[in-house]
Amino acid sequence: MAGTVLRASTRQLLVQRSHLLAPVTGYHARAKVGNRDIVGFGLNGEPTYVDRGDFPCPAVRFMENTADVYSMREKEKTSWIGLSMDDKKALYRASFCQTFAEMHAQGTGEWKSLTAGTIFGITLALWIVILVKLYVYEKPPHTLSDEWKAASLKRIIDQQQGRIEGLSSNWDYEKKEWK
Amino acid sequence: MLRNVITKLSQPARSLIQQNISRGAAASLARGYSSKAHETDEEFDRRYEAYFNRPDIDGWEIRKGINDLCGHDLVPEPQIISAALRACRRVNDYALAVRVVEAMKNKCGNKEKEIYPWLLQEIRPTLDELGINTPEELGYDKPELWLEDVHDIH
Repeated sequence: MAGTVLRASTRQLLVQRSHLLAPVTGYHARAKVGNRDIVGFGLNGEPTYVDRGDFPCPAVRFMENTADVYSMREKEKTSWIGLSMDDKKALYRASFCQTFAEMHAQGTGEWKSLTAGTIFGITLALWIVILVKLYVYEKPPHTLSDEWKAASLKRIIDQQQGRIEGLSSNWDYEKKEWK
Repeated sequence: MLRNVITKLSQPARSLIQQNISRGAAASLARGYSSKAHETDEEFDRRYEAYFNRPDIDGWEIRKGINDLCGHDLVPEPQIISAALRACRRVNDYALAVRVVEAMKNKCGNKEKEIYPWLLQEIRPTLDELGINTPEELGYDKPELWLEDVHDIH
């Protein structure tokens, strides 16, 4: 009997102690909350607002409580069937920043400018190739001319280089033409 | 001496094994080998419905319940959603009710076209009774306002 009483009193003391600790842990978040209602646990117990698909109910309402908000709350207490569309939307926006559709529709159209920039860069590079070929490079060596290459090939065939499996094996020596 | 010790140690293990065999026959859920207690789907549904049906529930508890419910890998049963909507009515929070419906739509994932119309049909009586509009009726199925993403650094 005495043991249970003692345990109950220590538990109460611990509960009181944790109430003292609680403001310290959320101090900076609480300072920024201002006039907003803290309405839930949110992500992690801190009074923060985040729009997340997997945590639909944030810890604070989005907008601060002003006179308009208070009058809306009074209307909310009566039947909801009488509320106008504007009232309903205003109530939603007072509690939440973005709807789910807005959360998930973060398309900026940035891909268009990125694609355009990429294509422009490739074009620039190709232009540089052309201009370098025209103005920077010297003439190719004379050994790359067609006549030189033809004479070189004739020499290879006359010397019978690769007679069995190589280049000259494709030359028919009787008929003097390629096989 | 050693034999006595070993037989003494194996006795509780033997009785545990026997207990597990009998419990396995009674459990209706798929067999898992974790040490956590399993609950069936119906128990899960009943637990959440009872949670939201509490007459003295407050906004904090509804939001915590919804966040936890959305953490599970399932689309909640319509009874649970109806109970949550009625709880929102009790705490006079219209925005929360719409948010609940939106969250359930989001939970349908890529099977939204199959599940969401059925879901709406099932909770339509509750929606009409309490005067809650679906996000589509409010025009919130398409984005209405634009907010610059915090990750856009250009």
